[in-house]
Amino acid sequence: MEIRPILSALMRNKTGALLIAAQIALTFAITINAAYVIRDRLAIAARPSGVDDEQRVLAVRYTMNSPQNIDAMAQRDLRSLQAVPGVESVAITNQVPLGGGGWSGSFAVQNRRESPSVNAGMVFDDGHLLPTLGVKLVEGRYFRPDEILVIDPNTSRDNPPTALVTRGLAKTLFPNEASVLGKTVYLGNTADSPALQIIGVVDHIETPWAQTSERHLNSVIFPQRLLQPYNYYVVRLRADAAPDTRQQILDTLARNEPDRVTTRGLESIADLRAKRYRGEYAVAGLLLAVTVFLLIVTASGIVGMASLWVNLRRKQIGVRRALGATRADIVRYFITENLMISGTGVVAGLVAAQLLNALLLRQMSLPPLPWGGLAFGVVALLLLGVGSVLGPAMRASRLSPALATRSI
Amino acid sequence: MFGYYVRLGLRQLRRSPVLTALVIVTLAVGVAASMSTLTVLYMMSSDPIPQKSDRILTLTLDNAPADSDGGEEYRPRGLSWIDVRALREGGFGLRRSGLYGTGGIVEPQKEGVKNFVGDGLAVDRDFFAMMDAQFAQGAAWSADDDRNEARVVVISDTMAEKLYGRENSIGRTLKFNGNELRVVGVLHHWKMLPRFYLLENGGRGGGPGLADQEDLFIPLSTAIATEQDINGNVSCQADAEPGFKGLIASECTFLHYWVELPEGSDRRQWREYLAGYVAQQQQRGRLKRPEPVRDYDVLDWLSYVGVVDDDTRLQTLLAFGFLTVCLVNTVGLLLAKFTARAGEIGVRRALGASRAQIFAQYLIEAGTLGLVGSVLGVALAYLMLHIMATQSPDLEALARMDTLMLVTSVLLSVAAAVIAGLLPTWRATQVVPALQLKSQ
Repeated sequence: MEIRPILSALMRNKTGALLIAAQIALTFAITINAAYVIRDRLAIAARPSGVDDEQRVLAVRYTMNSPQNIDAMAQRDLRSLQAVPGVESVAITNQVPLGGGGWSGSFAVQNRRESPSVNAGMVFDDGHLLPTLGVKLVEGRYFRPDEILVIDPNTSRDNPPTALVTRGLAKTLFPNEASVLGKTVYLGNTADSPALQIIGVVDHIETPWAQTSERHLNSVIFPQRLLQPYNYYVVRLRADAAPDTRQQILDTLARNEPDRVTTRGLESIADLRAKRYRGEYAVAGLLLAVTVFLLIVTASGIVGMASLWVNLRRKQIGVRRALGATRADIVRYFITENLMISGTGVVAGLVAAQLLNALLLRQMSLPPLPWGGLAFGVVALLLLGVGSVLGPAMRASRLSPALATRSI
Repeated sequence: MFGYYVRLGLRQLRRSPVLTALVIVTLAVGVAASMSTLTVLYMMSSDPIPQKSDRILTLTLDNAPADSDGGEEYRPRGLSWIDVRALREGGFGLRRSGLYGTGGIVEPQKEGVKNFVGDGLAVDRDFFAMMDAQFAQGAAWSADDDRNEARVVVISDTMAEKLYGRENSIGRTLKFNGNELRVVGVLHHWKMLPRFYLLENGGRGGGPGLADQEDLFIPLSTAIATEQDINGNVSCQADAEPGFKGLIASECTFLHYWVELPEGSDRRQWREYLAGYVAQQQQRGRLKRPEPVRDYDVLDWLSYVGVVDDDTRLQTLLAFGFLTVCLVNTVGLLLAKFTARAGEIGVRRALGASRAQIFAQYLIEAGTLGLVGSVLGVALAYLMLHIMATQSPDLEALARMDTLMLVTSVLLSVAAAVIAGLLPTWRATQVVPALQLKSQ
């Protein structure tokens, strides 16, 4: 093999080679970490909401000045929304998955101070919410109509005696139990905290905030309608709903109560998802752009340096060709040389990537780098190096020995 | 000599145009990426009220029951009405204001303008003077209005324009959440960036953003008396009785409290005052947790609520990493550019130029490249900021380059080019004239 002569030639003129190696090392470190953050953010943005068909489920939030009879208004709204053609079912609730704002509370297994409490979203179900959202019940039973409490927050602090929990919360509260049916949880961990009996478990219902921590898995569903002057109506469209159904829903609401203001119009869960994860997509997009530019810059650096070397070595190439080296030999020389430089760079890059990752981990919550991704990065950067050097190497191989050695 | 070398440098741009273009583009992209992310970081961490940010102070109180499991995560960031009312009555400081965010339906009571949802802020009259807010029309309400729970309102200029066009707004009435309010003042282009006085969740998540601005300001006493809904985090350390009356009588936190100290006074006085307040409350059996009080000035507060988020830091860090790679790349490209001119250097050296002169000439040439690169870099940075601005209303306000950032961009570009030029220039001075002349 020709490694020894190439190496000794490199050692006589180290600057350029070191520059390229350093550049590859830095590119590797940044690209790997960027790719990793991109993957992390896209994975967060793709988490399920628990809603089976996010396009078909719409939510509308309204605000109004304390109406005379909130309950009568809600009943009338629900009836007339149900009558809109194209609407499959309707529900009233206090918060929707990915919706932004909502209720949360602390839940504990025992009503004593020592019992650690877990933060979870509080969803109020009027008896129609789960089928309207399309959230799956995986264990136990759904609320009976007679279990639904109607609560006026201005006069009452009652809580229903039963509740559904998400699978995630069940696992957090009772890590060692096969089934949580019939168990009691407390809303708070003091002696007077209200008790709730778990009658069923739902697969998942995303919290309104969709936190990046494990908390986003925790929700408790209460069988109650809260009489507050701002609530969400959730509407499930039929698969064959006409395109103007959305407008009809808004018109119906406006007709029922002209003074009411719908805060953000009618949004599907898919719209809410896009809005909630806009930041994640922005970070991923920006990092992707940085990565692409980095690779272009590095490739152009390698091309530039290799072209310089080809020019500097015209005579040597000519002599080698005159002494019987084939074109393939010349190309092989440059590729081997490049692989040696890139290899050094990538090895240094592996170390730099870990250092950068450690720095990022200290600044924010990210799991450590996976080895599979590192291996892929190594191969990709070596290929980038070879690909960049190929052009100048081919040009070098086409040098005519006679011309290249003429000035000797 | 300097001017001459700059002219030489500019002339050299045309030689080996591909290499030159590569150097300029590499530098420009690196500078654009780092400067656009740095601009957002700089705007986020900028001082919204530099003339007196060290004299505007706030506090947090840990009013959870003494035996609760607490922890930093659960420490309240807001204050209860119990504490805000007591602090207002205490009367410490040059100016003081409690506040909380509210919102509701605005009924303009004007033909052709439909009802809409407006963001409001419940404050005391001192708030406007404390924040150096200027009035386009009218003025803040009076101290009597504060005491008498007057039905008055100060509106933003955008709101005034929307409701009343260019006409005089003072004395008109509008309905907010069903209460009839008389307009006493219109603010003149007033906006805090970041909006430090009320930043729930660090300006992210469901709450109002870093750059949002309220449409209406009503007296805090009026808001409490008329039970205005809370638009913000309500966090309860213990159970509360039902309704708004239950909420304000409880330890639930939803307010903030800001004071302004007179010029030349010391933050220690605020600390001592708070220590006294806590001691007094502890005698009544409240605030029994360890370290119950913390005090902040504006900048402390911004860092406490986490205005600069991880993502912004990450972007800036990676952008500067990117700039480093661009620098290393530029070193290589300049090396190639300068090496090609070994013959020319040999001639100059043989004709009597010292190494120092060669060094100066080539370093200035590198700087010239950086200067040209900065023009492209600034243009690219503006483009990137423009793209960022479309992402969210917050970024629209934050992604703006001021003069300082513009000058920094140009300097960064030139400095980057000069630093990248050091090694190639040093190599250029090492050219041995005899060798070069011999081969010609």
